[in-house]
Amino acid sequence: MKFLLAISSSKYSGPTLRAGAMIAQAFDAELNVVYVGAKLKGLQEGPLDLSRENLAKWNIYHPGIEVLKWAFQELKEICPANDELKSAEFNPEHIKEDQNRYKLILPTTKGCKVQLTLREGELIQELRDELQLDDYALTIIGGSQGKRHMAHDLIQYLPSSIFVARGLDLKKKYKLLLLVDDSEATKRSVTFGAEIAKTEHWEVRTLTVSKTKRFGRGYSGAAKKAKAALEKRDIPVEQFFLTGDPVTTFVDFSGDDHIIIMGASTANPLKKLFFGSKPIKTLERSTVPILIVK
Amino acid sequence: MRISADMIFWIQQKRWLLIAFGLGGLLYHFIPGPSGLSPEGYHILIIIFMTLILILKEPVPLPAIALQIIFWQVIIGGSTPNEVGSYFMNDAVFFIMGSLMLAVAIVSQGLDKRMALGIIRITGNKTWRIVAGFTAISAILSSFVGPHMITAMLLPVALTLIRFTPKSSKSTSGLTAALLFSIAYGATIGSIGTPSGGGRNVIMMNYWAEFGSGSLSYLQWMKMVYPMVLIEIPITAFIILKTFPPEMQILDTAVRRLSVEVAHAGKISAREILTVVLFALILLSWMTLSEDYGLGSIALIGIFLYMALGLVSWKELNRGVNWGVILLFGATISIGVQMKNTGGAAWLADLSVGFLQSVIPDIDTLRAIVSVALSGVMSNLLSSSATVAVVGPVVLNLGGDPILLGLASVIASAFGYFTAVAAPACTIIYSSGLVKAPDFLRAGWKMAVMSVLSLMLVALVWWPILN
Repeated sequence: MKFLLAISSSKYSGPTLRAGAMIAQAFDAELNVVYVGAKLKGLQEGPLDLSRENLAKWNIYHPGIEVLKWAFQELKEICPANDELKSAEFNPEHIKEDQNRYKLILPTTKGCKVQLTLREGELIQELRDELQLDDYALTIIGGSQGKRHMAHDLIQYLPSSIFVARGLDLKKKYKLLLLVDDSEATKRSVTFGAEIAKTEHWEVRTLTVSKTKRFGRGYSGAAKKAKAALEKRDIPVEQFFLTGDPVTTFVDFSGDDHIIIMGASTANPLKKLFFGSKPIKTLERSTVPILIVK
Repeated sequence: MRISADMIFWIQQKRWLLIAFGLGGLLYHFIPGPSGLSPEGYHILIIIFMTLILILKEPVPLPAIALQIIFWQVIIGGSTPNEVGSYFMNDAVFFIMGSLMLAVAIVSQGLDKRMALGIIRITGNKTWRIVAGFTAISAILSSFVGPHMITAMLLPVALTLIRFTPKSSKSTSGLTAALLFSIAYGATIGSIGTPSGGGRNVIMMNYWAEFGSGSLSYLQWMKMVYPMVLIEIPITAFIILKTFPPEMQILDTAVRRLSVEVAHAGKISAREILTVVLFALILLSWMTLSEDYGLGSIALIGIFLYMALGLVSWKELNRGVNWGVILLFGATISIGVQMKNTGGAAWLADLSVGFLQSVIPDIDTLRAIVSVALSGVMSNLLSSSATVAVVGPVVLNLGGDPILLGLASVIASAFGYFTAVAAPACTIIYSSGLVKAPDFLRAGWKMAVMSVLSLMLVALVWWPILN
């Protein structure tokens, strides 16, 4: 299993990096840490490349490489049990251009489960391109993605599950809030949530919301299945059934001490572009970390 | 479902391409050209309109923008492929190609360490002197070799000084900005000083020749424009120091550590001497022989010699030169010439003059304002060279003295102080991540006011004296 973790700077990406490393450890997954820097005008590309090449001779590197270096040092601290990572050294000279991106080759880390990648361009396009190069199960991204279109683009265009680490405080004791309905993705959300809950010993709640007072067979059946799946793994679960507008209820219920896990919508992409979907609206409105499982 | 999400994503990413071509199609098929403009001129203006949108938003890579200029000229512009091809390569494009190659050849020799030592010896360790020194050296050198080469060479020197400053980077933000802007703005103001200071200068010279508007030799250009560079150097340093007051007045430790660092470079090698001598010869040839052989051909002779003497390899040149830019300039110059040939440039010139004549009745003042404003504004959005390639034919059709108006336009196209994209030097310092977009605005407006006043001073006092 392979996860992609997008970072922006040492100032803002600390919690995202820690959360990403933690989730990757929970799943024993390979982690590709990617920094996406702004791409400047094509007209200036030549002078810029010339300048960067000359700067490298003075041991001065692309600002993104400094961010990757920081991420690398942090990961060493976060994952003390990773012996390969412990013995590896960050060397900017080992950055190689490969498929429109720069990859840091970690020469002494045979079997190391960490990769470092530098890309330049528009965030969604670059993450999408990176995800298409390998079979990624999850993309982990920081919390400043609140804009309407960013929420839509993240969910709609990245071909993997997405964890948006919005307002994540790792010192806080979170509960996992699994949003359960009759959709296909609920099953995968439960599997994902169970794995994290098991490793981190977090409490799990399931929430099923109906617009009317009547909970159909699909909803109650899905909730029952979720409970069974979690209990089968010895994870205690509290179940809630509420009535009202689903997105408002999700947001109100989650407060500030839950991590939401929900399935992606299967609605028509055009409809989602113009009218949104439950995951898009929840991502826009909630203030807690949210995992959208595809 | 995935296919349709992919399609929506593609449409979203390429929306400016669709908008440009959509509007172009609409104008071409449904909206008749204005009276007084030939159909060919109208079609060329449509291509330019689409191209400007594409250059501004870059929904497709730069070389693709160049290619669409070429095929649209053949499909709707009424030109034959051979006609487009004949305007595509000329001395201006040779010069742009040659100067990009020269930059790679010279930067790869590691002369920047010598330059660092030289600057420090002259300026000493006082911060204001270092900022003034960087501004002056950048301006003077970039006036001969172009701003991107000098910025590429001086940036590591400035960043090393900053790195060796014994304070956290947060508490030296003023010093950092002052050093970086002294390089970028110094290089930008210097780039107008001689024809070889920038591709746009040679593009304008090429238009003068192509349109039969007269000519200026290398030394005549210098005589007319260099005083402006000299006026601007101290004022630029002053503006930078006032806008970004450095936190430290003396950079004693940093200068000492930089001296030690560059001292490791050892004695100057034969290779380095040869590089400098060869470049001095190229410069001398530009000054004395360019009227006969053209700036571009001389630059190419220089590159040939650098390769023949083993100072640079083709692999290095190939890697370091952005061929897309060369393609784009070839294409924009070819459409610039077609704009003139089809009457599109004259129509645009009449339109802009006619539009403003009620506000500014004096025609000479109006022409000067139009050429300066058009170039100054557009260079902040596109780039200075692209601006001259597109605006040049319009300016030369405004009437009045084409040499003076052309010069004013070229000079104003260097006023790209407001954004990181306007000038290569600004882009390079911006890419360091140490200066932010608002910093360009903070200092840029002062630089623009100063530059306009300097231009007025030179145009109203110095040029009449020369004439």
